[in-house]
Amino acid sequence: MSAHRVVRRARPLLGTLVEVGATASACACLEEAIDAVDAAFERVAALQQRLSRFVASSAIGRFNAAPASTCVAIDCETRIVLAAAATLRDATDDAFDVTLGSGARAWHVDARGLHKLAKQVQIDLGGIAKGYAVDCAVATLEAHGIGGGWVNAGGDLRAFGSLAVPIDLRDEIEGGVRRFATIEDGAFATSRRDAAPGALRHASVAAPRCLWADALTKVVVHTADPRHPLLARFGARAWLHARPVASG
Amino acid sequence: MRIVVAGTTLAALASAPASAFAVDYLTLEQAAQLMFPDADRLDAREIALDAAQLQSLDAQGLRGRSARWTVRVARRGDATLGFVVADAVIGKFELISYAVGIDVEGAIRQVEILSYRESHGGEIRLPAWRRQFVGKTQAAALRVGDDIANISGATLSCTHVTEGVRRILAIVALARRNGSLGP
Repeated sequence: MSAHRVVRRARPLLGTLVEVGATASACACLEEAIDAVDAAFERVAALQQRLSRFVASSAIGRFNAAPASTCVAIDCETRIVLAAAATLRDATDDAFDVTLGSGARAWHVDARGLHKLAKQVQIDLGGIAKGYAVDCAVATLEAHGIGGGWVNAGGDLRAFGSLAVPIDLRDEIEGGVRRFATIEDGAFATSRRDAAPGALRHASVAAPRCLWADALTKVVVHTADPRHPLLARFGARAWLHARPVASG
Repeated sequence: MRIVVAGTTLAALASAPASAFAVDYLTLEQAAQLMFPDADRLDAREIALDAAQLQSLDAQGLRGRSARWTVRVARRGDATLGFVVADAVIGKFELISYAVGIDVEGAIRQVEILSYRESHGGEIRLPAWRRQFVGKTQAAALRVGDDIANISGATLSCTHVTEGVRRILAIVALARRNGSLGP
């Protein structure tokens, strides 16, 4: 462990802080690790342009602005994220809803593109796109020959390769962190939901891919069920956290 | 996937005291070098915004906050390549310092986070707590010997950083218009 030299950087992306860590095994590799980290950030920035509802030219931006009965052409990344969203929606009786209540069933994807079935429906991929972006950034690091590292998008993270990454869980009430786990070659995400005043639900999910870890935290905080059947389907494991006790 | 959960029970986790968390990513000089690799020097220029300029920032929805700023001008020989400005913002639990690189066209070249600090119990708002980090550079993580730890939690918002970047863009544009940053 102590032999690792790690290039660790962070940039504001996806509406949060995205951190990338890459191990460099020898001095000569340091430059390569820096290049790989830059490429990972560029990948995330490109995905942000494609998946954000705040980018008018993105498929999601065009879908939201379009009238009913429109079919919007979508790129491969948007298709992957929407397909995952549809799978989760169907498996949770619409509880996982990327339209945030504006029409869970008022969109569908087929070979032609993304169909808008009602005028008022708006899509926001905020509950799933960060996890997907983390997976893509990890793929970029691996393609650059990085042997171990991680990508963390504001708390949704994935570690890969020969590195066991310690995970600290934020105290959502008081701030500060507590050591929760160590993860190797897997993803971990955390979500909170303030169901009612004083009724904070706080859950984490570990999964092989961050797309599923990110999205499944929403299912677990919504259902309060850390043994939800969907978890096994994606090789995931969940924890519902006890309300942290205020410490002095 | 291999995950090893710390401690014996989750109840034990909840009652353990929270600790602070800190990462130093880059020094300002390292960030400037990444943003402007061709620069052979950085000239620091102090700029002071007057009341009218602060008002003009307010009018753009970018509250001036501070009247005094240091702008690093990245140069190669006589040529100006761009500008680098560092700033820090405080969120609910976190203190984030960052640097903005701006090219000669006035567009953002890059934004790099320089350091991240997270505290508990509102310490982040205590000047004494923040002062302990002044001058800290690389590899100064609070949790000694454990410099790859990651935080997981409900998604951190970077609204303060985004607002700060917009403010810095406007300040550099103002300073260039009135000649404070040279030709």
